[in-house]
Amino acid sequence: MAKKQLVRVKVNGRDREAEVEPRLLLVHFIREVLGLTGTHVGCDTSHCGACTVVLDGKTVKSCTMFAPQADGRELLTVEGLIKDGQLHPLQEGFKEEHGLQCGFCTPGMLMSSYVLLQKNKMPSEEDIRWGISGNLCRCTGYQNIVKAVQYAASKMEQGGAK
Amino acid sequence: MQQTSPEIGGMGHSIKRKEDSRFIQGRGNYVDDVRLPGMVYGQMVRSPFAHARLKSISTEKAKQLPGVLAVITGEDLAKANLAWMPTLFFDKQMVLATGKVLFQSQEVAFVVAEDRYTAADAAELVEVEYEELPVLVDPHKATDPSSPILREDREEKSNHIFHWEVGDKAATDKAFQNAAVKASVHAVFQRCHPAPLETCGCVADFNSATGKLTIYMTSQAPHAHRTLFALVGGIPEQNIRVVSPDIGGGFGNKVPIYPGYVCSVVASLTLGRPVKWIETRSENLQSTGFARDYHMTAELAADGNGKIQAMRVKTLADHGAFNAAAQPTKFPAGLFSICTGAYDYPNAFCEVDGVYTNKAPGGIAYRCSFRVTEAAYLIERAVDVLAQQLKIDPVELRRKNFIRPEKFPYPSPLGWSFDSGNYEAAMNLALEKINYQELRKEQAEKRAKGEFMGIGISSFVEIVGAGPAHTFDIAGIKMFDSAEIRVHPTGKAICRMGTKSQGQGHETTYAQIVAQELGIPAADVVVEEGDTDTAPYGLGTYASRSTPVSGAATAVAARKIREKAKKIAAHLLECSEEDLEWEPGKFFVKGAPSKSKTIQDIAFAAYTNMPAGMEAGLEAVDYYDPPNLTFPFGTYICIVDIDKGTGEVKVRRFIAVDDCGNVINPMIVDGQIHGGLTEGLAIAFMQQIDYDESGNVQGGSFMDYLLPTAVETPHWETDKTCTPSPHHPLGAKGVGESPNVGSPAAFVNAVVDALAHLGVQHIDMPITPWKVWAILKEKGVVS
Amino acid sequence: MALRIEKTFQVSAPIEKVWSLLSDPTKVASCVPGAQITEKIDDKTYQGSIRVKVGPSVTDYKGEVQILRLDPQNHEIEIQGKGQDVRGRGSASMTMTGKLAAPDNGMTRVTSTSEVNVVGILAQMGARVITEVSNIMFEKFSQNFQALLQQSADQPAVASAAVTPPEPIQPGSIAWQAIKGMFRSLLQALKGLFSAKA
Repeated sequence: MAKKQLVRVKVNGRDREAEVEPRLLLVHFIREVLGLTGTHVGCDTSHCGACTVVLDGKTVKSCTMFAPQADGRELLTVEGLIKDGQLHPLQEGFKEEHGLQCGFCTPGMLMSSYVLLQKNKMPSEEDIRWGISGNLCRCTGYQNIVKAVQYAASKMEQGGAK
Repeated sequence: MQQTSPEIGGMGHSIKRKEDSRFIQGRGNYVDDVRLPGMVYGQMVRSPFAHARLKSISTEKAKQLPGVLAVITGEDLAKANLAWMPTLFFDKQMVLATGKVLFQSQEVAFVVAEDRYTAADAAELVEVEYEELPVLVDPHKATDPSSPILREDREEKSNHIFHWEVGDKAATDKAFQNAAVKASVHAVFQRCHPAPLETCGCVADFNSATGKLTIYMTSQAPHAHRTLFALVGGIPEQNIRVVSPDIGGGFGNKVPIYPGYVCSVVASLTLGRPVKWIETRSENLQSTGFARDYHMTAELAADGNGKIQAMRVKTLADHGAFNAAAQPTKFPAGLFSICTGAYDYPNAFCEVDGVYTNKAPGGIAYRCSFRVTEAAYLIERAVDVLAQQLKIDPVELRRKNFIRPEKFPYPSPLGWSFDSGNYEAAMNLALEKINYQELRKEQAEKRAKGEFMGIGISSFVEIVGAGPAHTFDIAGIKMFDSAEIRVHPTGKAICRMGTKSQGQGHETTYAQIVAQELGIPAADVVVEEGDTDTAPYGLGTYASRSTPVSGAATAVAARKIREKAKKIAAHLLECSEEDLEWEPGKFFVKGAPSKSKTIQDIAFAAYTNMPAGMEAGLEAVDYYDPPNLTFPFGTYICIVDIDKGTGEVKVRRFIAVDDCGNVINPMIVDGQIHGGLTEGLAIAFMQQIDYDESGNVQGGSFMDYLLPTAVETPHWETDKTCTPSPHHPLGAKGVGESPNVGSPAAFVNAVVDALAHLGVQHIDMPITPWKVWAILKEKGVVS
Repeated sequence: MALRIEKTFQVSAPIEKVWSLLSDPTKVASCVPGAQITEKIDDKTYQGSIRVKVGPSVTDYKGEVQILRLDPQNHEIEIQGKGQDVRGRGSASMTMTGKLAAPDNGMTRVTSTSEVNVVGILAQMGARVITEVSNIMFEKFSQNFQALLQQSADQPAVASAAVTPPEPIQPGSIAWQAIKGMFRSLLQALKGLFSAKA
């Protein structure tokens, strides 16, 4: 068994660290070492996107990274979207527009949409569909997720949280 | 039905979902989120061969790896008589292989270790020696004398499982003999898989101090599972608690009991520690309950004008290595006999033969109410084939043959009593929305230019809400369902049902039923499901049965409460019950509306000011035995354009008109339709679990088993008609599966319609670009 | 998963020299990357093993090689190899027919037709990957075979005893080459589409 390695990550604004095996997947680090179970595992071939988190501002599939690769970097998970008890406009949008049913893909969808809106403040339907094309959903047929993101985009344009 | 205000939020209001709060914050509680002190991890070792003798298993190296606590084999289980377990349909299934393996990915050994990674390392160290045997993958060859007999454990040494038939063969054959026109189609509904985004898994936690076994499980039917664990495992039922927490999608995949659950329970009982087992996606696709694999031939007999006289159906059902199909015991082919469809004719005969092959076991699953998808697909394809043959517009052929509204309840030729329907109205609405005549004109113009555009119609009727006790049971347990409602002194309520949502929004919709019946705002009603220690017994959620059965139980229980409330109101208002009238939320004196008591007043009084002789409290429980199933229906119309160069089919528009009777929450119903249509799209164009001649799975991961992303999925247009169910307390029918049931035929009919002028009559799913391109090449359209 | 692979290559050596190598399973095995003969059972049967690495995934097959047919007159040999994965994750078998011909140019043409069947976890990857992997292995085999011919031309009659330990293909290279191979054909197909338009 390989020697454990120290991994230091800033997670949702807080400094966290742990000694882990180098082969520990980032998604397991997040779920089991950090105890943040909002990020989910939905497949074993990097297709489904349920494990999507934001690392140094970019979306990554945390099932396809090793925890040590996140050493010294900043991580944002779904748990970090809520600020002082205020839901992020995206979270509001998902509820208002019925953008979720079983909820399993939702954290990944939120993180992908979060980064999408950072790059593109008023995305078209096509932009949104491409933007979440790395996230699979079995329940909603994506239509209401598109509306949820549009809801958030207009709310943020009108001066909601960034 | 009395309308409630938006504040109360009863039937018909699109109130936002109450369960969303935790999911949008990433604070759902799925099985893999469960963490218990001392918890360890289990991992399966699986067979690479489809058919082989198990010559030896060596677990020594695995056991010696530090951190490994146990390695369980079939031989170990056999000592406790657990190497085999009964399936939900009169068969048995190996928990861990003994003697031989029967499908690739079959469970062979179970490793338990301190953490996930060590368990995976240990699984690699288990050495298994196999002796390969000849493989059977073609169900058509199952009964050939040259094919290997798969199930040596059965008394009858045959790969044939069952023969089932229904209908009047003699009358049907006669109708065919006398028929002016006969049309037939051989349609294969390919093997596919529900693939919910959360895979199956459990945490089995045996507390050796109390003797209680708690199983957190991805289960669509927690009570049934508890009883089965008790019966099979010999554990006293009061000492078993099954908790189905948040479930990330089910679609039927989480109805069967899988070897992983059993091994986890055994491991926990042995080690006295919680054992977690979560399967990978590949394991999920390769070994858990698959769907379809029905090879069907339908024949329709009609007169010269296209009036259908009879239907004849012959189907071969591939059940894999064990008949683990989950369906009511009297129906080896589920509710497939709904295949006569929305059409009025006197004669039909249907026979189904089930066989074993070296493939994963199962046979139902995937949002189909027990084979209803196969049936609806078959009749809607057959009707189009008949229309093509008669050169009649498929819309007009359907219109001519629809069961007329005045004929309900309609006795179908295969024995069902359709509760209500107005098929033509749904179809007309869809035709209007899509501007049908204009589309046919456009199609003619395009054809003249050598372009391919198709219009596909599916006017389906389905059968859900299983079911009445006289006919329906699963593994012997009758298919009633339940609701328990308790109102607190401050007028809020808590309810528990015997069903289990996997995303259907029960925490909201059941609350809305209570809101409708009692006038307590839905926001004040908490709904819980899934804990067998607290919820009343039920058969779970699948086959679109929650609204028809448990929804009815909820309404009936609420009405029982209302009856008691009336007595309390009379006591409070010092009048007699006959003087009282009800509007949602309050009783008032006839003619003196200011003399009233709200349900909140009454609730408080139930604990503080009861009439003499009356028991305190305000609650009721109901176990509902539905008098019949319900028959939702609709018309779906799909427009496709085909790219000649690549064979790619693009869905230009899709209109779904659904009729599920009275609707609880229109927003939630639309969401169900969107999701189900997306599944139908995937089945029609992308999905297949295939096996090569050696039994190697070819659709065993998301690399090959395709799920549509937001890019492939079109924008779905939905609408409704409303024909209430006459026997349901709320007039509701259920709708979750309709889109998956009705849509495959719409997609396929559209593609065939686009190519019909080339002489194409049928194309089997999945309709990949390659298939279409090959047809275009064969017909000389492209070279 | 059954595949058929046909390959032809030419070597600059007289036909009898080539035949002496081709008809000796030990020599042939030494040219197959990752393979070795471990024991001779009788004139026609040998025990052997082969290690196949696809990316990080390693499979060790152990089994038997049998000479089904030896025809020195027509310079034809038919060999069958069957092996099971030692970790119980599958099996593979191959029947290969090797034929020599001597066209007029003084070279010897080697034609081999193989039927490969893979069962198990590896086979789930599908025909695409297996075909590519087989192609790469065959490329290496023909290179090794030609090198061995060259070697024995320089040093006549080497005793077969010391066979150099088999080197499995490098972990990255097979997977990478397989992927490159797939992209190559895809790129060619795409080029075809575009050039048709022009």
